[in-house]
Amino acid sequence: MTSKRPWWGTLLMYVALAAFLFFLGFPLLWLLSASFKSTSELNSLAVNLIPADWDFSNYTTALERQNLITAAGNSLLVSIATMVITVLLSMPMAYALARLKGRLRAAGTVWILTSQVFPSILIIIPLFLVLRSINLNDTLFGLILVYVTFTLPFTLWMLQGYVAAIPTELEEAGEMDGASRVTILRTIILPLLAPGLVATAMFTFVSAWNEFFLALVLLQSPELYTLPIALRSFLGAEGQTQLGPLAAGAILATIPSLIIFSILQKKLTGGMLAGAVKG
Amino acid sequence: MNSIRGIGAIAFAGVAVLALSGCTQGSANNGSGEGEGGAVTLQFQSLSDQPATQAAVKSIVDEWNADNADIQVEIIQAGWDGAFDKLITQFTGGTAPDIIHFEASSIVSFAADGYLADLTDLVDEDLKSDISEGIWESVTQEDQIIAYPSTLQSYMAFANADLLEAAGVEIPTGDTMTWDELQEIAKATTTGDTYGLGWGLASPTATVMSLALGFDGGFFSGEGADASIEVGENELAVPERIHEMAYTDKSIQPTSLTQSGSDVLASFYGGKVAMTVQGSFQATNIANDAPEGFNWVALPPLEGSEGAVQAANPQTYSVNVDSEYVEESAEFLNFFMSGDNLAQIAYADALIPSSESARTEVEKLAADNPAWTQVLASGEGLVGPPFLKVEKYTEWKDTIATPAFQQYLADQITSEELAAQLSDGWADIAG
Repeated sequence: MTSKRPWWGTLLMYVALAAFLFFLGFPLLWLLSASFKSTSELNSLAVNLIPADWDFSNYTTALERQNLITAAGNSLLVSIATMVITVLLSMPMAYALARLKGRLRAAGTVWILTSQVFPSILIIIPLFLVLRSINLNDTLFGLILVYVTFTLPFTLWMLQGYVAAIPTELEEAGEMDGASRVTILRTIILPLLAPGLVATAMFTFVSAWNEFFLALVLLQSPELYTLPIALRSFLGAEGQTQLGPLAAGAILATIPSLIIFSILQKKLTGGMLAGAVKG
Repeated sequence: MNSIRGIGAIAFAGVAVLALSGCTQGSANNGSGEGEGGAVTLQFQSLSDQPATQAAVKSIVDEWNADNADIQVEIIQAGWDGAFDKLITQFTGGTAPDIIHFEASSIVSFAADGYLADLTDLVDEDLKSDISEGIWESVTQEDQIIAYPSTLQSYMAFANADLLEAAGVEIPTGDTMTWDELQEIAKATTTGDTYGLGWGLASPTATVMSLALGFDGGFFSGEGADASIEVGENELAVPERIHEMAYTDKSIQPTSLTQSGSDVLASFYGGKVAMTVQGSFQATNIANDAPEGFNWVALPPLEGSEGAVQAANPQTYSVNVDSEYVEESAEFLNFFMSGDNLAQIAYADALIPSSESARTEVEKLAADNPAWTQVLASGEGLVGPPFLKVEKYTEWKDTIATPAFQQYLADQITSEELAAQLSDGWADIAG
């Protein structure tokens, strides 16, 4: 028995949604607007979303300076590699964490939670020394390893929640049909886990894409700088900011993220388990 | 099932990318060293962030490299943001470059930890006499010169000449301008929707510590870890003056006190504030960015009871004590700091050069920019401040002084409470 929502209720819902969307999207809109404004307009007190004169020079400045293209390539490489390795590693680990019983599981959980409490600044010097001893400081591969180390505990925690939500009855049904553990994982768990994997992948990608401090300290060669490092070079000493090129650079920096998200978000569908088990 | 294939494809792409990443590494040990034919390569980590300054640095290095086949210099471009964390990691990890660009107040702790080479006997004698004692003092720790002081900034007032004229105020033209004059002009130019002064004091400590020297407000005495603090009448003169202008005269735009200096420029260009106190380097930014027809002037240096004295906290070039090429690095820096070279860098960065010969050269370069006359004049009163001798100054500044000054300038605590916070905070930090 469902009651039909009145028309004004629907209207109100859409208005609220539109307002929320505007609230979320406004900073990006403002950034886009700033990226097309001239320096004099950015330095004026005028508050206008549409630039008075469209100025494209910020984009050319951003691209010409600071090796933004190279930095974007480095960021993309590091973020995708971090995402893939983290997801591949955390999938079987999350399954084990969610399904295993006993002390090992409890110890694993404690380890995950404990590893989350250390701020990166606390361990940056030991980390630097370890990487140096294995010749991996100032390399993208070293940075990827560090990112995987930092994101793995949280993604593991996240993913095991998704695994726990999958009814064990489905696995039992597979066993009844004679499927091996690997077959069950591949044909039953993995498809149902897809939305969780996508969410985890997104989280990992964004974490690596936006990370600044570790990249700043671990990378010393300018040709290896990632985007956040390259973008920060538009901020000078004494609070000087080249706002136009910085906004243009930031817009360019969001494009790969948007593409990745638009590809992945289709997979991020809930309700896949609806009706999988009859209540 | 498609989704699995998609994830599989991304996984494959990622593994391929990872494999490729192994081929695109920078050298993990790309440090200085001997190249072909016994030539030495020095790593020079430069923080210069303005395109014009980067070009000036590159041109100087190129000139050096062309004339010195046996000592080559390689520029490593880094940024100011996070520079301290990066350097401390490099020093601890033994991967710091040979030549380090930073600033005087931030290298004190590096010197205390023994990471910087003693340059006392390596600095060129002509250069030594070309830079004032006061500025050398700012880079001297325990009688050792730990850096070459290159460029400095002072704090100075810029004014909208039209607004001053409209208020019937005569623009000061003397060698200096007293705080009383500044206060009077700010009051006179404060009208309904215009404030006399916009002052970006979001991070007030550096400004207060510098200008306090004009009232003989040194805050610290002693050196290293044994320094002691005294917050008396002289030290409180500047914050009290600002507070009075903000809350008694109401001539300072309240929001500006929570902004950075650069943020306040929009109000200045928009005619919402008649004057603004800024770092002297803003003279060039104002010249470039101000709206067409904007009639502005740089006012004479601010004078306190002890004169137009401000803190010299220069940008610096130091040499890594662990470098195998300390002497060669110093040799290069002697060339880098020559009058012509330093003038190029100072002019590009809109900062005051430390040496007399470079200042003379900048005067020629900036002949068509009258504001530079005042900028260079304000550089005359720069002296090494006591806080540069204090080992834990940066920690005190960030954790104690900045929040305390912010609270005081927000009218949340009294000047007595401010003094207590500054003193007690130092006692906690110094142990």
